[in-house]
Amino acid sequence: MRRSRTSLLALATTASLALTLGACSSGGSDDSAAGTAADPVDLTFYMDKAGWMDSFDAENKVSTKEGMQLDVVQTPGSTADAFDSFVKQSFRTDERPDLFTWSTGPKLQALVDQGMVAETTDIWARAEKEGLVPDGLIDNYTYNGKQYCVPLNVAYWVMYYNKHVFEDAGIKGAPTSWDDMMADADTVKDKGVVPFHQMNVFFEFVWFQALLASTDPDAYAGLGTGETKFTDPVVVDVAQQWLDMMHDGYFLDPGINTDPQTLLANGDEAMSYFGSFLTGQLNQIGAKSGTDYGVFPFPKIGPSVDKDQMILETGPLCVGEGAEHEDQALRYSEWWLGDDAQQTWADTRGDVSFNPHVKSGDAEMQALADRTAKGDFQVQQRYQEMVPWPVYTKSREVFGEFVTDAPDDPMDGLKQIQAEADKYWAEQG
Amino acid sequence: MTSTLERTVAPPAVRRRPAARRPYRWTARAFVFPAVALCVLLLYVPFVWTTFLSFTQYDGFGSPELVGLDKYAEMFADPAFVNSLLNTLFWVLGTLVLPVGGGLLVAVLVYGLSGSFWYRLPFLVPYAISGVAVGVIWTLVLQTHGALDQVFNLFGVDDPPRWLLDSPLNTLTMIVAAAWQGVGVNALLFTVGLQSIPKEPLEAARLDGAAGWKLFRTMTWPMLTPLTTVVVGLAIVGSLKQFDIIYAMTQGGPGRSSETLALTMYKETFINSDYGLGGAIAVFITVITVIASVIYIRRQLGAAKEM
Amino acid sequence: MGRAGTVRKSFAALLGVVWLVPVYLIVVNAAKDRATYNQTSAWIPAGISGLWENLGIAWTSGHLAQSVSATAVYAIVAPALAVVIGAMAGYGIVALRLKHGFFWLIVIFASTVFPLQMLLMPLFIGYVDLNIYDTKFGLILVYTVMALAFSAFVMRNFFTGVAREMFEAAVVDGASAMRIFWRIYLPLATPALTAIFILQATGVWNDLLLGLTLSRSQEVRPLMASVASLQGVYGGTTMPVLLAAGLIVSVPTILLFLLTQRAFGRGLALGQF
Repeated sequence: MRRSRTSLLALATTASLALTLGACSSGGSDDSAAGTAADPVDLTFYMDKAGWMDSFDAENKVSTKEGMQLDVVQTPGSTADAFDSFVKQSFRTDERPDLFTWSTGPKLQALVDQGMVAETTDIWARAEKEGLVPDGLIDNYTYNGKQYCVPLNVAYWVMYYNKHVFEDAGIKGAPTSWDDMMADADTVKDKGVVPFHQMNVFFEFVWFQALLASTDPDAYAGLGTGETKFTDPVVVDVAQQWLDMMHDGYFLDPGINTDPQTLLANGDEAMSYFGSFLTGQLNQIGAKSGTDYGVFPFPKIGPSVDKDQMILETGPLCVGEGAEHEDQALRYSEWWLGDDAQQTWADTRGDVSFNPHVKSGDAEMQALADRTAKGDFQVQQRYQEMVPWPVYTKSREVFGEFVTDAPDDPMDGLKQIQAEADKYWAEQG
Repeated sequence: MTSTLERTVAPPAVRRRPAARRPYRWTARAFVFPAVALCVLLLYVPFVWTTFLSFTQYDGFGSPELVGLDKYAEMFADPAFVNSLLNTLFWVLGTLVLPVGGGLLVAVLVYGLSGSFWYRLPFLVPYAISGVAVGVIWTLVLQTHGALDQVFNLFGVDDPPRWLLDSPLNTLTMIVAAAWQGVGVNALLFTVGLQSIPKEPLEAARLDGAAGWKLFRTMTWPMLTPLTTVVVGLAIVGSLKQFDIIYAMTQGGPGRSSETLALTMYKETFINSDYGLGGAIAVFITVITVIASVIYIRRQLGAAKEM
Repeated sequence: MGRAGTVRKSFAALLGVVWLVPVYLIVVNAAKDRATYNQTSAWIPAGISGLWENLGIAWTSGHLAQSVSATAVYAIVAPALAVVIGAMAGYGIVALRLKHGFFWLIVIFASTVFPLQMLLMPLFIGYVDLNIYDTKFGLILVYTVMALAFSAFVMRNFFTGVAREMFEAAVVDGASAMRIFWRIYLPLATPALTAIFILQATGVWNDLLLGLTLSRSQEVRPLMASVASLQGVYGGTTMPVLLAAGLIVSVPTILLFLLTQRAFGRGLALGQF
């Protein structure tokens, strides 16, 4: 049941209007009736990012005024492994979620092909017109020429650094080039501080991603389309460079499992390449952006690369097709893109919002977001969402071993990943 | 009541009447029925579905597609599966030695001491502590520069082994962590067993001059059989599907080096969305576990009957 | 006993102390804040003051208060049901000599063999179809079944140690099978029942997977689902807070072990006639 929509602005202003709208649109079915501020509609929301509960609670305080609130359901598997299955299986029952998180790329394509997510083309058209989303973000949400889901969040993959460690080592300011960054790394290394963070689970792929994208952006993007092979000389060279950096002691010992925010804030390491969701974690333990830590973009490496590469990760907020409150969930999706929701998000997470009207309290991170919007960087997808899923899971294994054991030669592992890629692309025809 | 109680406990060597009549045929069925019905409804039926999936190709979308035994062939051809199988066997052996052997040691050591509960308590505390804290604390102990490494450093060992990174050492250290949590339960069960041993034969043997190890071997151990069967049976089952502590500590890594069958099954099903392959591994785990435990239990019960 | 007893006591005490070392590490590190937490000084305590703060963070950001009472119901009712139903099965097989008793024992026992992770999705779908998804009844049911096989197995083996003559004497006195079960076999089994109850209650209290799969509302969800919200790569809390959370949720189970000590001790005395 599709109903005509008033503009987002009107939706966002008064609860009474929302009530009227709901009454008009109910069309004999209670399912799509809008709630009121006193009696808001509960929208079931499946999500796997447990650490963000506080922000969703805060959002609920705002969205109840619009007659909606999230009924957040965390799903099995705290590391999100079982999340996919749970969502997929729920569509076989009457318990399909009104809203759920997912990942963009091939995984969202699969849901779209199965007709499991509601289309959001209208919402995107209005959001773009009102400038609620930055240029290019829509590409992550476009499948078969239509839009599905809206961005739940964005994360910029940037280099965090401990300002006190830099000061103690006599380094002035953040590096702006690859050579500067490596020189700074050598300086802190001489002082006995580990230059870079790295872990052998979950984010084992990120240094491969940063090094390859910054060395040859096209080759990096080609991994997502099958045009680049993992055994191509440029990829092998980058993997070799990565392993050599491990051999030379640039990275944290892979056996250390302390949380990344504590390691960085305590100065056990100087720099940490992470998604901007780390900001929320750093704030939680009392580290201050601008005084305790700062951020800078990962510098380009290749001589022919003209811009620094900004890896942009975006997680979708999807509406289940045929869910009990599908219409209200779509209304929520539209509300989510707006300034109220996004300001709440930026304030509670301390993170940047995708909505350009919203300013984060974190000046350094906001500057990077503004520069991204201005086109200072070449925006790339994150490796995890960019490459086919079987390739990614094989990479987890291989890169996990790289980080743990730092073999002398990357070729064997890269061949294993390429074998998965060959199999996948052959099946795609 | 007391007079009855005095005669309640007899050695496990119960004489079986050869042609036992069964006057309570229907009553017996009624007593056993609820347990069987609940298990069938909530455990067998879901498992039948899993078994069905093991003969299909299914990624969670649409309908499963029958592929015969392909998934089983795929499973046996996978080197990761072979590695998990070896790790799982490690777990079975390790579990029989550490938590089971240790539990028996603690139970016997403490049994009969005044205030024995308080001596047993330290071993039960880890079991009572929630899995969240257990995973975190062992990570803290075993990580590089962690609590254990600091002890090694104290004794002048500057370069201790990489407890969680190198295979098969990581499996061994996790077996120790699991033993830390599991010894108390087994000690408790063995204590229940010791309680059901009547005093008179023990006293008689003691008067005959048996003591210490000899007394244990000839009298206590044989009479512990019913509870040993329970403990060892559960240990075999538990270790063959070992999952939680590995998932909490290494997620089966680095790479796939510390995966057990249950972890491989979980990863194939939930991460790779290959329900068929995951189902095949689940069926494999179930079949070998049933075979192992039936052989073991039958042998134990058989031995008890012959006595 | 004398000398040998002293040796045994000292050895048991020493082993117990070694066993508590990780517990010491949990408490010490749960009391650290970001500034004092350092993996290279895990052994050194940093005062107790930080503990209250971390406990507070864990309590509020984990929303623990909401799920305590529901979880307590599950952890008491389900193991109690399992103990009785399991004892019934053991009694039926041993004392009433069910035909093919060994086979039925294996049928019950084999249900512990199925890997739980694989049963989650079919259970979820079945629960939704039967309208018991996200109900306390549904969770009690599944927890009862989870504790059942262990209970039946232990009780069956315990009852084999009970003298046959006793059952026959009661029959001669004119007692019904039901009466013999409630009045003689169950009281006799107090130590075993207590042990099973404690172990299974702890298991239910600490369950995560079933709770996450079969419920969604705050009133029904068990405690560990809330604790799990503190973990995860996206915005998980620090190790000290996680340890503090682990400590809070462990208090009831540790208390359970302490409180049941008396019942357990009584059971001991009974068994030692």
